[in-house]
Amino acid sequence: MSPGLRSALPVVLFLIAGFAAPLIAVIWFSFMPARTFSFGGTPTLENYTTIIESSNYISFLWSLGLGAVTVTLLALICYPIAYGLVRIFGKWSTLITLLFTIPLFVSENIRLYGWVLFLIKNGVLLGTIKSVFGVEPESILFTLPAIVLGMVYVYFPFMLFPMTLGISMVPQDTRDAAMDLGASRWQVFREVELPLSMPGILIGCLLTFVLAVGAIAEAKVLGGQQIIPITHDIEIAFTYAQNWPLGAALSVLLMAVVGTLVLIVLRRFNLDQLLGRR
Amino acid sequence: METRAVRLRHSLVTAWTLAAIVFIYIPTICIILASLTASRYFQFPIARWGLDWWQKTLNSIEIRQLLSTSITIALCVTVIAVTLAFFGALAFARYDWKGRSLYQKIILLPIFFPQSVLGLALLLWFNTLGLPLSWKTAVFAHLVWIVPVVTLVISIQVYSFDPALEEAAFDLGASRLQVLREVTLPVLFPGLFSGSLFAFLLSWGNFPLSLYTTGADTTVPEYLYAKMVAGYTPGVPVLGTISTIGAIVLLLGGYALITALRRTRASE
Amino acid sequence: MTAASPILSLQAVQKMFGPHAAVDSIDLDIAEGEFFTIVGPSGSGKTTLLRMLAGMDQPTSGNILLRGQYINNLPANKRPTCMVFQSLALFPHRTVGQNIEFPLKIRGEDPAKRKARALQLMDLLRLPQNYYSKNVMKCSGGERQRVALARALAYDPQILFFDEPLSAIDYKLRKTLEKELKDIHRETKKTFVYITHSLEEAMVMSDRIGVMRAGKLVQVGTPHEIYSSPNTRFVSEFVGDVNVIPVSLGSKNLLKSGLAPKGLKPPRVPEGFENGHLVIRPEYLRFLAKAGDADNALTGRLYNEYALGSRIQYQVRVGDTVFVVEKLRQQPFTGKLDDDVIIGWDAKDAILVTD
Repeated sequence: MSPGLRSALPVVLFLIAGFAAPLIAVIWFSFMPARTFSFGGTPTLENYTTIIESSNYISFLWSLGLGAVTVTLLALICYPIAYGLVRIFGKWSTLITLLFTIPLFVSENIRLYGWVLFLIKNGVLLGTIKSVFGVEPESILFTLPAIVLGMVYVYFPFMLFPMTLGISMVPQDTRDAAMDLGASRWQVFREVELPLSMPGILIGCLLTFVLAVGAIAEAKVLGGQQIIPITHDIEIAFTYAQNWPLGAALSVLLMAVVGTLVLIVLRRFNLDQLLGRR
Repeated sequence: METRAVRLRHSLVTAWTLAAIVFIYIPTICIILASLTASRYFQFPIARWGLDWWQKTLNSIEIRQLLSTSITIALCVTVIAVTLAFFGALAFARYDWKGRSLYQKIILLPIFFPQSVLGLALLLWFNTLGLPLSWKTAVFAHLVWIVPVVTLVISIQVYSFDPALEEAAFDLGASRLQVLREVTLPVLFPGLFSGSLFAFLLSWGNFPLSLYTTGADTTVPEYLYAKMVAGYTPGVPVLGTISTIGAIVLLLGGYALITALRRTRASE
Repeated sequence: MTAASPILSLQAVQKMFGPHAAVDSIDLDIAEGEFFTIVGPSGSGKTTLLRMLAGMDQPTSGNILLRGQYINNLPANKRPTCMVFQSLALFPHRTVGQNIEFPLKIRGEDPAKRKARALQLMDLLRLPQNYYSKNVMKCSGGERQRVALARALAYDPQILFFDEPLSAIDYKLRKTLEKELKDIHRETKKTFVYITHSLEEAMVMSDRIGVMRAGKLVQVGTPHEIYSSPNTRFVSEFVGDVNVIPVSLGSKNLLKSGLAPKGLKPPRVPEGFENGHLVIRPEYLRFLAKAGDADNALTGRLYNEYALGSRIQYQVRVGDTVFVVEKLRQQPFTGKLDDDVIIGWDAKDAILVTD
């Protein structure tokens, strides 16, 4: 056995037991009769027909739509910062990166709760406005913009860091060369910088999209159930409704969407190059 | 003229970044403010400041139980994840072998997977295997997501590791174990250290995986979520602040330690 | 050569990095059509100088004039000059053809014209025409070199700058490319400004060479002048091996040296010379049958022998000093290691430098 395979074996076996097997179990379960709790039943497609006939597709669309909006906003918000981290901030970059990293390690629902305290009536934002200007605007808490805000907030580092990696992969020399060959700043950006940093940007978009589609807490904590994302439907099927096969079928559909996307994008990448193998 | 445009662009980017930092820390600050309120309900501007709720929270046995569960899970996850990921990272970045490219992509899949769905899938899987849910199953669930992350973190260090070092040690008569102890581990230590930090903190803050896999045991994020959904209690901001400060102290302490370590190594 | 009006003029050009002058008040004129090489060890400021000439950096003080026009603050994309980078800086996401066409595309020329010009340049640089749609990262080192040069030529610059583009290439290919570059220079009749740390490389290609040290231009001259009349010990030691003897001016116009009690016959002594070094190239040192066969002679022991191909190099120990003597293989010599030998040189073949 090659030393590479030997080292890979523990992780691979673990992921087979902890990742592949559960997913196969979910897929299998999605073909079991509704409201059963064992693998013994006769396989059936009834869960999928139930989904098609129900309004679950609305939740699906909400999740995908929220994911798309989050990704777009994050790409626009993060690009200048990633650019600054690589090209402008110099020795401050480490500190700034650290500042952006810290929140990653605090449970996301605590941080979302902080937003509730900020946005709520008589909270930090509206309380301040009220005491300073004497007016009391409507709170955006429990509305769609609040959910988007929460998602942008939570997934911010997942866009920023891959993007920074991508931009740092553009050699200064190629930018100088393009400039030297007559390109304007905009042309340097469009012809050299953007295409060369695309791997990092795409990874960032993919990561945030996948995480955003699988998000559940934002809608619950900040959205006040105004919007039901697909993950919420899945959770309900598994918990209150006690209909595991239906939940499994919904999961399978979500996995199919996410998995296809991940495979399409990841296939194009050379990870060694991205992560800095010499 | 050109330089003025450059300077303007730089100040815009800097301002934008500072705004983003403020944005990132708004909720944390709100949580801390709320924890320092003496009254039962949060209102801003704060009328009465006080540490009453800190006292009540720290004295509560339930909270101590929560903290101990969370720490136990995080420690177990750290030890197992770093061990697995160390070898995983060698396979990822150190060795050239036939299945490597595929292996690298497989490692990424759990990271690119919605965690709530993963949690439910694991719930179903544990149920199928007949495993009773407890903090131990939560450790397993955390590992599914954290092992790949830590593998990536350590891999970045392994990429800059020169395999000739190991060969030289072999050549000088060291056994396989001695090479690991004397050369590979010390050189890769910074990567292993940041890997442990990641493992601990990601487990400490995890919610979606814990939610479905802890059974009767409860972690801090789960407890907070339950309280939040149920309605406001000032114990939530206090516990949130503890959790946040704990993470910050650990991260900054770890970062300082690794910087100091690198300095002494460089000056040796 | 610097007659008429120069294409590029540097007047007291200086670049400060904090308190440190990376480029220290350089004056230089480069003539139209010249192949000018700036040589210096790493850290001598030559890359900083080139970046200022190309418009990627601005001088702290001094003037850069292009055909008499002040261009200090003209950015790189507005200068009619172009640089071939050390890393080549080829665009890895583009084909050979797209790389070469880049400056034409930027200028908005139509695709058919662009392609025709790219193919023409590929022909000039001996790149096969079917490389047009080849991924540039799949090309070999020498091919990439040619693509980078073709791309720079496509810009149709008035001056081409080169930042050590050959430094990463192996010896044999480098020799070929040096000669090709010289041919290209002759065919295109453009002004080339080249920087390198290898004086040997500079010698092969240049019309004139400027030697840089610690931010200063210490000597400017033709390859021949640099080799045979270096003005400092630093310049003399920059190419090949040299023998350097510390000397001072003694009585009867002889040089005092610890090695020769009777004194050494000097070449022409510069005015006001007191202390310095006598520099003798190894090929001007020869083995003598007796001490009177040359103006100066030293007795020593044959210590080592190296075969260099067409030449043979010997080390001879005179007291504690080791001398390097070189002779052509076909010249007869019967000395063996550890033999006592006499080495000598004629006064006119040595160079006296003041530092």
